Amino acid sequence: MTTKLHPLLIVFAAVIFAILVAPLFIILGAAVSDTSFLTFPPQGFTMRWFTNIFDITAFRTTAITSLQVAVTGTFLALLIGIPAAYAMNRFRIRLPSWLSNVFVLPILVPEIVLGFSLVKSITIGLELPVFATLLIGHTLLVLPYAVRVVGASLASFDFSIEEAAISLGCPPLKTFFTVVLPNIGAGVVAAFILAFITSINDVSTSLFLTGPGVSTLPIQIIAHMEQFFDPTIASVSVLLMILTVGVMAIVEATLGLTFLTK
Amino acid sequence: MTVSLTLDNVSAHYGSTQVLKDLSLSVKAGELVSLLGSSGCGKTTTLRLVAGFLEPSAGSIRLGDRDLTRLPAHQRDIGLVFQNYALFPHLSVRDNVAFGLKQRGVGKAERDAKANAMLERVGLSAFAERMPAALSGGQKQRVALARALVIEPPLLMFDEPLSNLDAKLRVDMRVEIRRLQRANGTTSLYVTHDQEEAFSISDRVAIMNAGRIMQLDTPEVLYQRPANSFVARFVGFENLIEMTVTERNGEMVTATTKAGASLTLSQTVYGAIPDRFILAARPDGLAVRQSGEGIPVTLGIRTYLGRAYQYQCTTSTGDLTGNGPLSELLEPGAQAVLVPVPEQCCILPPEA
Amino acid sequence: MVKRLTPWLLAAPATLLVLAFLILPVGSTLATTFLEPKGWIAPYVTFFNSGVRRTVLYRTIEISVITTVLSVIIGFIAAYVVAHVPGRLKSIMIIAAVFPLLTGVVVRSFAWLILLGKNGILNSALLGLGLISQPLSMLYTEGAVIAAMVYLFVPLMILTLAGVLEGIPKDVLEAATSLGATPFGVFRQVILPLAMPGLIVGAVLVFTGSFTSYATPQLLGGEKQMMMGTLLYQRAMVTFDWVGASTVAAIMVVVTFVIVFLMTRLARRLNPMVA
Repeated sequence: MTTKLHPLLIVFAAVIFAILVAPLFIILGAAVSDTSFLTFPPQGFTMRWFTNIFDITAFRTTAITSLQVAVTGTFLALLIGIPAAYAMNRFRIRLPSWLSNVFVLPILVPEIVLGFSLVKSITIGLELPVFATLLIGHTLLVLPYAVRVVGASLASFDFSIEEAAISLGCPPLKTFFTVVLPNIGAGVVAAFILAFITSINDVSTSLFLTGPGVSTLPIQIIAHMEQFFDPTIASVSVLLMILTVGVMAIVEATLGLTFLTK
Repeated sequence: MTVSLTLDNVSAHYGSTQVLKDLSLSVKAGELVSLLGSSGCGKTTTLRLVAGFLEPSAGSIRLGDRDLTRLPAHQRDIGLVFQNYALFPHLSVRDNVAFGLKQRGVGKAERDAKANAMLERVGLSAFAERMPAALSGGQKQRVALARALVIEPPLLMFDEPLSNLDAKLRVDMRVEIRRLQRANGTTSLYVTHDQEEAFSISDRVAIMNAGRIMQLDTPEVLYQRPANSFVARFVGFENLIEMTVTERNGEMVTATTKAGASLTLSQTVYGAIPDRFILAARPDGLAVRQSGEGIPVTLGIRTYLGRAYQYQCTTSTGDLTGNGPLSELLEPGAQAVLVPVPEQCCILPPEA
Repeated sequence: MVKRLTPWLLAAPATLLVLAFLILPVGSTLATTFLEPKGWIAPYVTFFNSGVRRTVLYRTIEISVITTVLSVIIGFIAAYVVAHVPGRLKSIMIIAAVFPLLTGVVVRSFAWLILLGKNGILNSALLGLGLISQPLSMLYTEGAVIAAMVYLFVPLMILTLAGVLEGIPKDVLEAATSLGATPFGVFRQVILPLAMPGLIVGAVLVFTGSFTSYATPQLLGGEKQMMMGTLLYQRAMVTFDWVGASTVAAIMVVVTFVIVFLMTRLARRLNPMVA
């Protein structure tokens, strides 16, 4: 674009973007500080807060739970969300229009209300195991990504290609996997990434769905923070930020980061 | 009110690529000049330079006695019609048309009256309250036209205004544009890649290639007497035959092709013929004969054109296309000669 | 017969999941508040009769409104710059916005704990500059919650609005310029109205996000700055007042639905594409 920007605007934006990134660098500094309290700039340098993470069993077990829930929940959401998205695009006239609104509900209903209602009705009401309810909650939480992001890809998919494949003798289910799926691949990848990151970072839904022995990493971090205010939290945060960088690298490699502005 | 537009040795760059090379162009007061060429030839760049969306790296642009070269785009007072109409989607048709008047501080009542009058002229009075999204392509283009005309600009510019319309509408709209432009006598610059459109609408056409104007002339001259082989090819002279003069005998000149075929040409018909030249002909400028003086060829595919048969012909130095009479059906593979039809051919300088 | 059912069979698992584990449980939470033996309005009377809970509701609204206004303004200006800078700089800016966006709310709130704490960087800096002689207690204030919340939502706002602003066709802006609009005129008469639906959608996301947040007010506001989310948790898990907690939940749902419904209607009315 050739439009010229006022210098003041550029300065303002530079400050904003600096403030967006700076706190995360402060965490990095605090994580290597050789002090027993959180401080910045770091005093000395140590990696002991990183090794300390692994000495605390709770971080290890909750991290595993978080990963299990995020991966399984995302897969489940895609498993049931993609057929729903396909049906709503392929058979638009044969399904009622309110159906798509059903899949907006998990976004619309406040997460904390969802978590509270699930613990009340499912964990206590149906006496389901804590882990099962946690998984259900996260599957619901990320279902809109599966339905809507994949749905957006399907909306621009030309279904006559599918008919072409069928006319050439390809059975319907095989057609879906060999013709439809490869063409909506980017949407599926985007849905997976967004769902995974949402699940792994979630606090509000998980809050009520954790119980004795079963907790997620973010909930464990909050619990730890309320008792100890030492650099261990900073080093856990650094590991989570490395995960973010990894996800960003995957996004950039597969979809390009600009897909997030669409 | 009518003024001329002058571009003087204008150059433009995108990064390090030069897209316009010392371009000079003069549009006389009240005249409509088209810039014609394929994409990337620099025609749109020229228009954007005049509009002020690009800055020239050298040269000057003048409109009447005003120097536009460094003037901000919003102060140039030029009516611009865009390829994609560029209507304001959040404003009604009337407010779209009145937008320019509002910028000029015209009061609400007056600008609505002027906008209504202009909508009347383009036949859209009934649509004044509509939003652009509710209009057809042709209607959108009329609104865009009305919006550019209502500010009574000393210069109108069109950037491929008809390329998004269907064939029938294109013809209607270009008549409409010509009518409105004539009625106001507004100096106009018109960018298009469509030869028929440019020739039908313009007083003069500039054929552009690689950032340069190859020829600027009336459509008639361009069509009948192209000045160089680029323009000749552009206006349909498919056959370009390199020739060398071997003998001069008064007004008669004998020249041979690279393959050695010899033709006798009259300078009374063709004008002065240089020692090396290109003979340019459309298919109907090369008559297919069974024998006689001409360029010997082997006939290939024959197609029926209604008024004649057209033959794809091969020679040892390349392919040529000629037309033969309906009375004489020749078969593929036969030997024949191509004879230039004097009024249909022209002589061009050799290619550099 | 099978063919006619195909669309339903494909959509059924996801639909049933939402029905069984979202619509029914949340519906039951809402129903709880209306099925009280003391009368269907009783839990709400209790809520509004409690000065503490009323304060929490008003505080939540206040913090959410301020957060929304600040996020919209900051996000819009930053997005405007993103949409207008050349490619390389734009990529850097997008990375700077995406990185915090993909980093979890706990980590981002924690960063502000380090920033604003008694031994935090801000206090150290102010002490070092001699501007203050005692460390300020900035944590557990409304300002701390708002700062962290704005920090939370600005990246979302930037990315949403950058998409909106880049979606405005360039030739429409050029048309305005060619008709004599000054750069500020183009902004006010063309860019702002065309971005308005996007601005409203972004504002709704920020407002509902703030209104129902838990982690940030819990970490930076504590007991002193209790908001609706933290109140819900406290009612349910500390005092085991299930009806009270359900009432808080119901108010959150109603406010969210009303805001979303009204604002999407407003955004649709302002949408220029609708005739």
